Amino acid sequence: MFDTSKIGQSFPPFTIAVERSKVHELALAIGDTNPIYHSREAAQASGYQDVPLSPTAPTIFQFWGNTAQADQLRNAGISVERILHAEEEFDYHAPIYPGDTLTGVTTIISGKGRKMRDGSSMDVVTTETRYTNQQQQHVLSARTTIVVREEGEQK
Amino acid sequence: MTTNNSRGAGSASPAKEQKRYYEDVQVGDALPELVKEPVTHLQLVRYAGASGDFNPLHTDPKVGEEIGTGGIIAHGMLIMGFVGQLLSDYVGPEALRKFGVRFKGMTHLGDVITCSGTITEKYEAEGEARIAGKVQAADQNGDVKVVGTFVAALPRRGA
Repeated sequence: MFDTSKIGQSFPPFTIAVERSKVHELALAIGDTNPIYHSREAAQASGYQDVPLSPTAPTIFQFWGNTAQADQLRNAGISVERILHAEEEFDYHAPIYPGDTLTGVTTIISGKGRKMRDGSSMDVVTTETRYTNQQQQHVLSARTTIVVREEGEQK
Repeated sequence: MTTNNSRGAGSASPAKEQKRYYEDVQVGDALPELVKEPVTHLQLVRYAGASGDFNPLHTDPKVGEEIGTGGIIAHGMLIMGFVGQLLSDYVGPEALRKFGVRFKGMTHLGDVITCSGTITEKYEAEGEARIAGKVQAADQNGDVKVVGTFVAALPRRGA
């Protein structure tokens, strides 16, 4: 069961450089052929300063920016092998462009565990990662809610 | 070169190639549907590398069979990405202020995902003219994979 004393715990900050090629690669995988995600020239021709982030590109920051995340969650008592992604939400506060360096701090903002009748438990945990850029401007927040099923103790 | 990233009153980027003005959007309007190509194994491998989410249940058919999901399943974030494309096509990426989804069902190889949405609100906040809406992604059988909401800021005509 999730240990509610972990609510409010933050993990060490991580930094990630925003790269044009990663935005391009993610758009390719999604199948979004909008040229603004694939070429700086096309983006600028459409009035953008450079290739803009696609709406879900912040997922790159979460996984590539913090490759220690799975271990951090495991250390907080969350069985990462049994995670289901339940919800994701982004707050976009300011534009982010290639060349920016972001610093992310992930905090466990809520969590609760529920015992099921068969002795298993189900935890619902939400983390929020707050990103600031190289000018210390808060540019993005990402909230991730995961559901973790735990098997009951063997009798 | 100096850049000002702050978003204050009237900074909803009217210089950008403008897809839509606030006045053009009405509550109840439907977003143009986006029908994606069938989800393929290659796409999930690509998405794993692009996003950095290498959970094998999205890429390794053996794992998919072992855990009883009926083969590998798509990353939820890929389906959210499809819905993101719908929104990007509608308002452009930098008009978005908020975008959130709940994952409702698993997406399998070959599924054809259709993304759709509706405008639910128009209002002013933080000096911006904003629209809010609901979005969803469903497969060829109408099974809903993702439901969500978004908020975007749009420029006013003549502003």
